[in-house]
Amino acid sequence: METSKEQASKDYADFEEKVKRTIYIDQLSPQVKESAIKAALAQCANVVSVEFIVNYTIPYEIPCAALVELNDDVQAKAAVDLMNDFPFIIGGMPRPVKATHAKPEMFHDRPPCPGLKKDFCWVKQGDKDYEAMQKLKNLAKRQESENMALIKKLLEEEKELANRQQELLDGNCKKYDMLETLMQNGTMKNLAQRYGINLDD
Amino acid sequence: MDGNSEKIQFSWGKCIAKGVKTGSRYYESFTFDNVKYSLYDCVYLFKHGDPEPYIGKIVKTWEQNQSKKIQKYLRGPVMEKEIFLASGDGSGLADINPLEAIAGKCTVICISKDERNRQPSPREQTMADYIFYRCFDVKNCTLSDELPDKITGLEVNVLLNPKDEQVSSASAANVLLNSNVDEVLAATFTAPCSAAKEDDESPATAVPLSQASVKEVDENPPAAIPLSQSVVQKEDKKSIAAIPLSHSAVKDEKPVVSAPRPQLSVKDRSKWFNLPWDDRLQRADKHGTLVYIQNLDIQFGGADLEELVREALQLSCIAKPINHPTCDDPNNGKAYAIFRTKNDADVAISKINSGLVVGGRPLYCSKGLLKVPKSSGTLVGHLTLRNIKIGKRQREGQSKAVLTSHCSQPNTIEYEMALEWMILKETHTKKFRTLHETHSDHRKGFASMGSKSARIEK
Repeated sequence: METSKEQASKDYADFEEKVKRTIYIDQLSPQVKESAIKAALAQCANVVSVEFIVNYTIPYEIPCAALVELNDDVQAKAAVDLMNDFPFIIGGMPRPVKATHAKPEMFHDRPPCPGLKKDFCWVKQGDKDYEAMQKLKNLAKRQESENMALIKKLLEEEKELANRQQELLDGNCKKYDMLETLMQNGTMKNLAQRYGINLDD
Repeated sequence: MDGNSEKIQFSWGKCIAKGVKTGSRYYESFTFDNVKYSLYDCVYLFKHGDPEPYIGKIVKTWEQNQSKKIQKYLRGPVMEKEIFLASGDGSGLADINPLEAIAGKCTVICISKDERNRQPSPREQTMADYIFYRCFDVKNCTLSDELPDKITGLEVNVLLNPKDEQVSSASAANVLLNSNVDEVLAATFTAPCSAAKEDDESPATAVPLSQASVKEVDENPPAAIPLSQSVVQKEDKKSIAAIPLSHSAVKDEKPVVSAPRPQLSVKDRSKWFNLPWDDRLQRADKHGTLVYIQNLDIQFGGADLEELVREALQLSCIAKPINHPTCDDPNNGKAYAIFRTKNDADVAISKINSGLVVGGRPLYCSKGLLKVPKSSGTLVGHLTLRNIKIGKRQREGQSKAVLTSHCSQPNTIEYEMALEWMILKETHTKKFRTLHETHSDHRKGFASMGSKSARIEK
């Protein structure tokens, strides 16, 4: 029916508008909730809605992500620029979040795309293309496992960086603690007297 | 998924007869969950295990074990809103349904040119959810344009359009929720209740019952009907949009019956199920109706996929794409499809795996839910200061603290660390991009090789 086609195109056009003003925020902590995101972005944009992405497909623990719809695409650009120019940190430190513009395929509840080719055919055993299709299938499966392997490796790299930074942080803490105790228990004063340095300088 | 037992509001209306032998009483109307249903109202009925509800007309209501008799309409996908009136003799004509199976009211208008039928106004026609003008004889399995005289012993007049326009009959049912139901409302049945509350987008909300058994209740009305279902999240847009529909842009704030929906297609009824998508996945997995399809075009939306399944396999399902935007390969689109029955799911899997090729992409699928680890609660890279001795009061304060956010300033150690993370992330993104592009090139090369060899063979 014509009206349903028009309606579908209109729905999709609305959806595309929505996509333009939505940003995709990644590297979120699971503790971050909608209110935190709203507050975080309040300085540059007004948040209309937040939709968290649920991980259905990756068998590893990955950072959380969300699709955040803003008022208009100007605000969206401003938000993305802000988060790319400076490390923007929501919740814990020091890992910053990453923001990009949203794409249609990110939305799991998107309306059907009018004009999308949905032609299909059956290629059964014995058909001349069957071998080729089987090979393509296997290729797809192999690529999938390659992707998973990459994800695993990258997650390990992240852990390494985190551990390294934690060590650095701990080391710094120890240093400051040590200085503090020295100040407190008078060792500093003694040393200063020894060397003839005035502590108040 | 099992929530608390709910006391859904219920009361009988006027009693019109009393059966002598059985001691059961026949009623003219009843109020269920603050919506008044009268005899000859058209309602949606839900049967356990079926994702799509049936449409029926209430023909008898009686209280014995809280059941009522419903005359069934059959659905037909001929025109967008058309359904058929079941007639003749045989099973499937009318059946007895328990009260809890009612999922909401709907309007059905008869547009038959039969002289007994009051012709509906054009307004009624557009506002009606469904129309019928043909009968389906359940014995012969034939369609006919002529309406018989009697169906299940009732004069067919009562099944046709009522004398006065019933267009806004449900506006009377625009009742406020919650004055009776104090606990969180589990599976709300009726459209007006949820519509009256805030900005709920789905007009009629119905939730599959965990059991369709008839409840034994004593004769005293109002009877409380305990139901155990999952909690409906009213404001949760995710749960409402469980099924991606092309009409998701239609924001219905009015009850189902009087809401104009000229493009209502058979698919829209799945909007009633406010069951959150995740719960549906769990259920489907348990029942063996969940199928995981891969190698789709990533542009495919849920509705596209459902249509494809319908055309290719003649099966209906509910589908949703599930790719993760950062990590998943965009060359390989993945989706979950929930079928009606286990058998459907099995048939679908065997057919798709045997060689369904969509736009040059051979699909493959498997059953069941993918195992995804539970989150540990913190993000890798969010560091803690371990050496600080925090007093008890401070610790409490910390746990109550709201998450803050800020832009890191260049004079802190945090800034350098944050930069390290950003650099790492950039390299990761680049690696993903390279891999996915390589994949894409391989696929294209392969496809062209495939077609070349085909041409050579010719």
